[in-house]
Amino acid sequence: MEMMIAGALDSLSPISLFFVFTGVAIGVGIGAIPGVNGPMAIALFIPVTYYMSPLAAIGFLVGVNKGAFFGGAISAVLLRTPGTPEAAATTWDGYPLTSQGKGEKALRMALYSSVAGDFFSTLLLVVIAAPLAAVALYMGPPEMFALISLALTVIAGIGTQSISRGLIAASLGLLAGMIGTEPVTALPRLTFDVYQLDSGLSLIPVAIGLLAFSEILVHLERHVGKGGHQESATTFSDKPEDRFVSFKEFAASLKTLFRSSLIGVGVGAMPGLGAPVASFLAYDQAQKRSTHPKEFGKGRLEGIAASESANSSVVGASLIPLFVLGIPGNLAVAMLMGAFMIHGMMPGPLLFEENAQLMYGIFGSLIIASVFLLLIGRFGLRLFCKAVEIPAVVLYPIVIFTCIVGSYLGQSSVFDVVIMLTFGVIGYFMRKFDFSYVAFLIGFILVPEWERALQQVVISSQYDPFLFFTRPVAMVLMLLTFFVVIKAFISSMRSKG
Amino acid sequence: MSRVKTETAIYAAIALAGIALLVWIIPAYTPPYPGYGAPPALVPNVAVGLMLFMAVLELIRTGIAQRWGRRSRTGAPPSTTAGAADAEGSDGFTQAGQAKLGHLFRFIVPCGLLVPAWNWIGFIPASLLFLLVIQYVVGQRRPIASVLLALVVVAVIYAAMRYGFNVPVPGNAFPEYLPLWK
Repeated sequence: MEMMIAGALDSLSPISLFFVFTGVAIGVGIGAIPGVNGPMAIALFIPVTYYMSPLAAIGFLVGVNKGAFFGGAISAVLLRTPGTPEAAATTWDGYPLTSQGKGEKALRMALYSSVAGDFFSTLLLVVIAAPLAAVALYMGPPEMFALISLALTVIAGIGTQSISRGLIAASLGLLAGMIGTEPVTALPRLTFDVYQLDSGLSLIPVAIGLLAFSEILVHLERHVGKGGHQESATTFSDKPEDRFVSFKEFAASLKTLFRSSLIGVGVGAMPGLGAPVASFLAYDQAQKRSTHPKEFGKGRLEGIAASESANSSVVGASLIPLFVLGIPGNLAVAMLMGAFMIHGMMPGPLLFEENAQLMYGIFGSLIIASVFLLLIGRFGLRLFCKAVEIPAVVLYPIVIFTCIVGSYLGQSSVFDVVIMLTFGVIGYFMRKFDFSYVAFLIGFILVPEWERALQQVVISSQYDPFLFFTRPVAMVLMLLTFFVVIKAFISSMRSKG
Repeated sequence: MSRVKTETAIYAAIALAGIALLVWIIPAYTPPYPGYGAPPALVPNVAVGLMLFMAVLELIRTGIAQRWGRRSRTGAPPSTTAGAADAEGSDGFTQAGQAKLGHLFRFIVPCGLLVPAWNWIGFIPASLLFLLVIQYVVGQRRPIASVLLALVVVAVIYAAMRYGFNVPVPGNAFPEYLPLWK
C-alpha cells in the first residue's frame, strides 16, 4: 500500500506531469501527420529519454504512444488518410462527416471514444497486472524459453503476408541480437573484430533505422517532386450542432464504446494481433449490432466510437503481457520494452518485486496521460488539425535529420549513425520484399532473454531435453509453438497451391 | 524481372548467406565451447538453420509451383504477361528496380557523407549543407524557405545538444582550422 501511495505521488510530481503532458502533445501532433506513427515516434524519442528519470522517461513515451493513437484519427477524419494504420476504420465514418462540415464533431467523438477506451484498458491493467505478475513468478526458465519461442512464432506473422518470410525476418533479428559479448564465455561473438560491436548493436539506431528512416525512404517515393502538401477536405462549420457531441449522442454510443473497448482489451492482451485488428473487428461488430447498419460508412458517430475506443484500448491492454511476462505483443510495446531496458529494468514479473514504487508510478502516469489526452484534445483540436497540412518538403528533411542526430544521441557515437543508416537500407528492402521488420525487431529485442533462459535450462537440466516433459506448462507452450509453425506453413502452402 | 524470379533470387541469396554463415562466419567469429552450458554457437546456428530451412523450402515450393503451372498450360509457352504485370508491382509486391535504387542512393549518399563531413568541416556547416541538399532532393525549390528551415533546425538541434542534453556534437561545431571560431 505504501508503495502504491509513493508511486502515485511520484507520478504527480511536477517534472513527471510535465513530461507526460509533453509526450501526449507530441504524440497527438505526430500521429496526425500521415506516415508518422506511434512506434516510429517512440523510436525517435527514446534517445531523448536517456536524460530523464525512469518514471519521466516511461511516462513521456507512454504519453507519446497514447497521443499518437488519437492523433492518427485527425488525418483519418480530415484527409481520409489514416495517420496511423489503426485509424483506417475511423476514415469510413469520419471523412463523410468532414465532407458535411462536421469534421470537428467527428474529431470530438474520436477524442472521447479514444479517451474512454484508453481509460478502460488502463484501469484493467492497473487492477490485473500485479496479481498476474505474482502468478507468473512461478514460471521458471523452461516456461520462459517456451513462452518466448511461442511469442516469436506468433509475431512472425505480423507485417507480412508470408509466415516463411516472417520467420526468416525473426531469425535475422535473433542473429543481429546475438552480435556482441556472449553471456557465458564473456567473449565477443559475431563481431567481425570490430571493437564497437563488442557491446552489441544498440537498440536505438537499429529501431530508428528500421522503423523511422526506412519508412521515410518509402514514403518519399510517393512525395518527391510533388510537394506533398495536403489540404483538409473542408472548413469546419460554426453551428454548435455540427461542432459538439451532445450528451444524447454520446450516450447512444455507450454500448458500442463498452463492447469495442472489451474487444480492444482482448486483442491487445494477445501478442501479435495489434490495434488495426481491434478497430476493424469492433467496427464490424458495431455495424452488425446496430439498429441502423446501413448508415455506417456515411458518417455515423457510432462507427467512429467503435474504431477509436477499440484501438485506444489496445494501448493499456498490450502492456499486460509486457508487465506480466516480459513479452512485447506489438511494435510500440517492443519499443517501450527497449526503453525499460535502457533504463536498467527488465520487464517481466520481477519488475513488480524489484521496482514496485516505479511500477505504481507508471500506472499513475498512464492514468494521468489519459486525462491529459482529453484536455489536450479538447482545447488544442484546431491547432493539431494544422499538423496534417505540413508539406512533405518541410517535414521529411526534419525527420531525416532527427533520425541521424537521434541515433547519435544514444551513446554519442558516430558509429551508431552508420548502424542506423545500414538498418535503414535493410528496412527499406525488407518493406519492399515483404519481410516483416516487426518480427525482426521483436526477435532482436527478445533474443538475450531467450538465450539466457536456454542456458539456464541446459545447465539446470544437465543436458536433459526431457526436462520439458516434466514441466506441463512449458510442454504445452512448446507444443503450441510447433502447432503454430506447422499450421501457418500448411496454410501458406495451400494459399500458393 | 518477374515476381517469381525476384522471389527465387531473394530466397537463393538467403540460402547462400545461410550456408556461408553456418560453414564459415559462425565458426570463425564465435568463441569456443567453454565446457558447460549451451555452446555459444548453438543459438546462432539454430537461427541460421531456421532461416536456411525456410529459404530452401520456399525455393522448392516456388520450383514446384512453376513446374505445376507450366504443365497446366498444356504446352503453351510460359506467359510473359504475368511477369509484366508483376514487374509493375500490381499485386502489391514492389520490386527494387533501377528507379527505386536510384531513389535510395539519392538519400543514402548525402546521409552517408554527413558522417565524415562532421569531422571535415564541423557539425554546424556540415549539417546546414546536408539539410539544404536533402531539401533539394525531396523537392524543395524555394531557396529562402530552404535556408531558413536549415538554419532553424540546426540551431535548435545544436542548442538542444549543447545546452539541453549536454552532449558533445560529433566533430567540432565549426572547422578547427578556422581561427575565427576558436
